[in-house]
Amino acid sequence: MKIPLLVSTGILLVALLPCQECRALSKSPIAPHGALHQPDFFQQQQQQQTLPVLLRMGEEYFLRLGNLNKRPVGSFSASSSSTSHLQPEASASNFFREAVQELQQLPERSLGSPEEGEGEGEAVEREKRSEEPPISLDLTFHLLREVLEMARAEQLAQQAHSNRKLMEIIGK
Amino acid sequence: MPSAFQFQCHFILIFLAASKGETRYLEVRDAVEDEPFLLLSEDLKRELSAGQIYRRSLRCIDMLSIEGQFTFTADQPQLHCATFFIGEPEDLITIDYDFVNIDCQGGDFLKVFDGWILKGEKFPSSLDHPLPTSQRYVDFCDSGNIQRSISSSQNVAMIFFRIHQPGNGFTVTVKKNANLFPCNVISQTPSGRFTMVSPHQHRNCSFSIIYPVVIKISDLILGHLNGLLLKKPSVGCAGVGDFVELLGGNGLDPSKMFPLADLCHSFHGVS
Repeated sequence: MKIPLLVSTGILLVALLPCQECRALSKSPIAPHGALHQPDFFQQQQQQQTLPVLLRMGEEYFLRLGNLNKRPVGSFSASSSSTSHLQPEASASNFFREAVQELQQLPERSLGSPEEGEGEGEAVEREKRSEEPPISLDLTFHLLREVLEMARAEQLAQQAHSNRKLMEIIGK
Repeated sequence: MPSAFQFQCHFILIFLAASKGETRYLEVRDAVEDEPFLLLSEDLKRELSAGQIYRRSLRCIDMLSIEGQFTFTADQPQLHCATFFIGEPEDLITIDYDFVNIDCQGGDFLKVFDGWILKGEKFPSSLDHPLPTSQRYVDFCDSGNIQRSISSSQNVAMIFFRIHQPGNGFTVTVKKNANLFPCNVISQTPSGRFTMVSPHQHRNCSFSIIYPVVIKISDLILGHLNGLLLKKPSVGCAGVGDFVELLGGNGLDPSKMFPLADLCHSFHGVS
């Protein structure tokens, strides 16, 4: 009973999947025409270099960190939250320097800021037409683990603070 | 005696619920182990929780594993930013928009994704998640006035945002809720122990560790049906209903990993 069900499900999946790939294939010739006007996040160069990946994955685009030559957001160094109990860590700024350096080693992408204004208008229209293409971040596992470790350190510090408050209250 | 009969009925109901595995809620809500604050009096709890909402500002690329209120304010155009959320395996992430000041017409966006997506690879994979990929994105610019509170289906979620105008930004409150039967989990740590229970549900689940690890599986129970073990197949896992597959790879999507081992027989002890 289960085998015919699985077989029919597999046939349905096989029948449906090529349609998605066909849509990707039909769009990829169109993409280069508008690629010159598209902003960075449509990944013109990404498409040229990793076209098979895009074809396989359908309508997926990659966000890259832009403005790599500029100072990253310094919000952590100017944190002024009155209820934050964690001091801005020097390690956070070190991490971002490493992150920026690592991303600068990646193939550069043309940011094309003058074209971005009109390109983004087209991008928004294109997004609406193509039912919201998935956006993802091109981050390495190394950087992901780094931010995860920072988050865990923050969690432990917050837990320690809560425990300290609890002991103070109980001690009254 | 009506009271004795009621007591017996209640006892039978509790026993049936326990045998069906539906009492996991009690495990999650173990006050002594996880929430010592529950043992305090109401006055003490009120004093402790007063002004205790954790707040800080967000970075362009950030990861959060605690509850609180988080604000991002752009001091320069920030075009490619994301914040990852991760909780304990038994948590669900809820994101509430407290304040959003972005220019949707000017190309800004703020999207919540149900899961993690990295280099185009999603966790949970499309095969394991109940929603199609397009529906896993909730765009504030499309539905912000309608849906201001978004919950994840597992212990991870993330937001993508792009803000052109310095000074614009947003504030979100992150909360965690209990997930009685976690199905798709990303482990926060490279070491630990986790038991995945999936009662009465025909679904694909996954447990992801984004570190190089050694995995030991102990006490695998498969194919329980009304308390009876299904007949063990003689050869391999082909054609078997339930199985556990160990996968390896350097991406986030389990459906794109390569299989290392298949387990389709129940056993006790360490494998």
